[in-house]
Amino acid sequence: MSNKILAVIKRELKERVMSKAFIIMTILIPVFMFGLIGIQAFLYSFDGSDKTTIEIVSEADDLTQRLENEIQDSDLTKDENFNFIYRTQTKSAFEDYIKTEGKADILDEKIHGIFFIPSSALTDKKIEYYSKTPKNFSITNKVKWPINKILVDEYFINKQLSEEDLAFARSGVDFTGFKVSKDSEIEEEGYGNLILSYAFSFLLYISLLMMGSLTMQSVIEEKQNRIVEVLLSSLNAKELMTGKILGTAITGLLQMAIWLSPIIFLVSTTVFVLPPEFVLSITFTQILYLLANFFIGLILFVGLFATIGSIFENAQDAQSGVWPVMMLIIIPFFISLAFIRNPTNPIGEIGSFVPFASIIIMPVKMTIVDTSFWQPILALILNVAAIFLIFPLAGKVYRIGILRTGKKPSWGEVVKWIRFSN
Amino acid sequence: MNALEVKNLVKYFDKVKAVDDVSFDVPEGSIFGLIGRNGAGKTTTIRMMMNIYSPDKGEVLLRGDKVDNSFRNKVGYLPEERGLYKKMKVLDTLMFFAEIKNKTGKDIERKAKKYLEQFDLKDRMQSKIEDLSKGNQQKIQFIATILHDPEFIILDEPFSGLDPINTNLLKEIILEKKKEGKVIIFSTHLMDFAEKMCDHVAMIDKGKIILDGSLSQAKAKFAQKNVSLNYEGDVSFLKSLPFIETVSDFGNTTQIKLKDASYSQDLLKALVEKNVTVKQFNANDISLHEIFVQLAGKVDGEILTAEVSNV
Repeated sequence: MSNKILAVIKRELKERVMSKAFIIMTILIPVFMFGLIGIQAFLYSFDGSDKTTIEIVSEADDLTQRLENEIQDSDLTKDENFNFIYRTQTKSAFEDYIKTEGKADILDEKIHGIFFIPSSALTDKKIEYYSKTPKNFSITNKVKWPINKILVDEYFINKQLSEEDLAFARSGVDFTGFKVSKDSEIEEEGYGNLILSYAFSFLLYISLLMMGSLTMQSVIEEKQNRIVEVLLSSLNAKELMTGKILGTAITGLLQMAIWLSPIIFLVSTTVFVLPPEFVLSITFTQILYLLANFFIGLILFVGLFATIGSIFENAQDAQSGVWPVMMLIIIPFFISLAFIRNPTNPIGEIGSFVPFASIIIMPVKMTIVDTSFWQPILALILNVAAIFLIFPLAGKVYRIGILRTGKKPSWGEVVKWIRFSN
Repeated sequence: MNALEVKNLVKYFDKVKAVDDVSFDVPEGSIFGLIGRNGAGKTTTIRMMMNIYSPDKGEVLLRGDKVDNSFRNKVGYLPEERGLYKKMKVLDTLMFFAEIKNKTGKDIERKAKKYLEQFDLKDRMQSKIEDLSKGNQQKIQFIATILHDPEFIILDEPFSGLDPINTNLLKEIILEKKKEGKVIIFSTHLMDFAEKMCDHVAMIDKGKIILDGSLSQAKAKFAQKNVSLNYEGDVSFLKSLPFIETVSDFGNTTQIKLKDASYSQDLLKALVEKNVTVKQFNANDISLHEIFVQLAGKVDGEILTAEVSNV
């Protein structure tokens, strides 16, 4: 590698790594990522700021009493946002009530929901729920457990069953996931790798987009300021482009290594023992692969972003031209999310080998399902091949675009640059 | 001996022939001016000389050999539209521009500091470029152009956008580098400047070379039969005199072309007889501007003269 490329790399590193933006982003992105997960969890658990008033109506006094006792004992009432009213009413009386008073109360939001448990529910477990938003599962999901328990108790009370039998009948099905893999023993799988796979897809996505846009901006800056003319009087376009891409890729890699360092630390020491549900079954080799894969991905995408930047003269025009490249990052990101939910997803399976897409999908796939060693290697080779295939063309566009000023070129013209440049 | 030979360069942009079979020689140790209007093909030619553009046809020879990438290390280039990295510090900027010319180390740093001192910028060494005034940014760019001690200094429209102080500074740099035996090539549309500074010129118009050679020879060739006149009074009668071929008014001076050089005394006599106050009468003299007009035809004079007045 020539000294000139090194000079450009050094300058890029100095400008990027030493910048406040780098430090801020390195800290902010994980905070943002976990914040996002936290916000999502918070929003799901958030039932409204006002007190939610729920009316529980049953046809029999003792049933009402039992429900009241059960709900009072449950977690529901500890949550101060819930307020329960209990009443006993026959079916016909309730039908009148729900058409008049009940309806008015619901519409005025004095009451948010009314559960009616007819006596028939003791045999068929069918209960009625009246609300403005009956599909709001945040309420029904919570209330259903105590109701179910009482109904089960009532049903079995005369059937001479032991406490144990009852406990069994009350409980739902509890899944424990076991990961079946070729080389290791079948072992209970926790959430550790699920969290990791989300974290990987998110970090790869954000980092590729961020590094890409940064490079694009910096290419446009050089073009706008006409620094590029002085640069090209000293080194050729290929050296300049190579230096810029490598400089940015090294910056990105450094940032990723910082982000992954806690995971590397957890994997390589036994000082901290994670609770079994959060054990990370990832090896050091996998992390190295992840970094190598990311570095190749950076080179590939940063190269494309740089090329797009060279075509346009200002950031606005470039924004309109960059979307095809952004799609190459965004679509694989969504495929990887779908893959996490359903690892048998064929699109994810194919995507994990397609150049560009595999950069995000393969690491995610590796984290959640077993992959034979050749799969990630093949994906890596295909991406390197893509670099060798695309970069000569990208270099031509860059070399011509970077000195072009004036009218915004059409895609047709860009194709002409590729075809007719010598 | 020619330092650079430009041979039959051709460059198309799409279907437009921006540079059309351009050839000229740049002698060793000369100040060479590439002269032409805006859009004539000067910058494109310069870019091809430095291998920034590859020519569609033709070649550039450096002391007999085809120029290659190593030529870039021997060139200091100041483009017309100047720019620096805004967020970079002054000294870092200079060191970076030297480094991409393959010059690194303590010597270059010492030299950079020396130049900064010479240009009154020593205390700004650690300032960011964006915190400098425009004039000071231009000075940094001058230093970056010459810091690696190039054999060739190529300046594209060097005086555009410079304040009078920097104009003089740049002139000093050019003359100093000439004394050191460097080759200086600049492109300009300012004829007065070219006339004062160059010893060789090539005139380019619509992508073609219309004149090339030493300035004194060109002037000698075109000055024959030419009188440049500065006067007060009415000279409209001149056109009817039988020995006069053309009269052209350039504002400050009037150029008169005679049918034969020997008629100059007759012309002077006629002027005195008609009570014209002759303030200046130069027989066999011509300005570069006038040569250009003769060769390239009537031009939008304001481009060529207006900017001259403030430099």
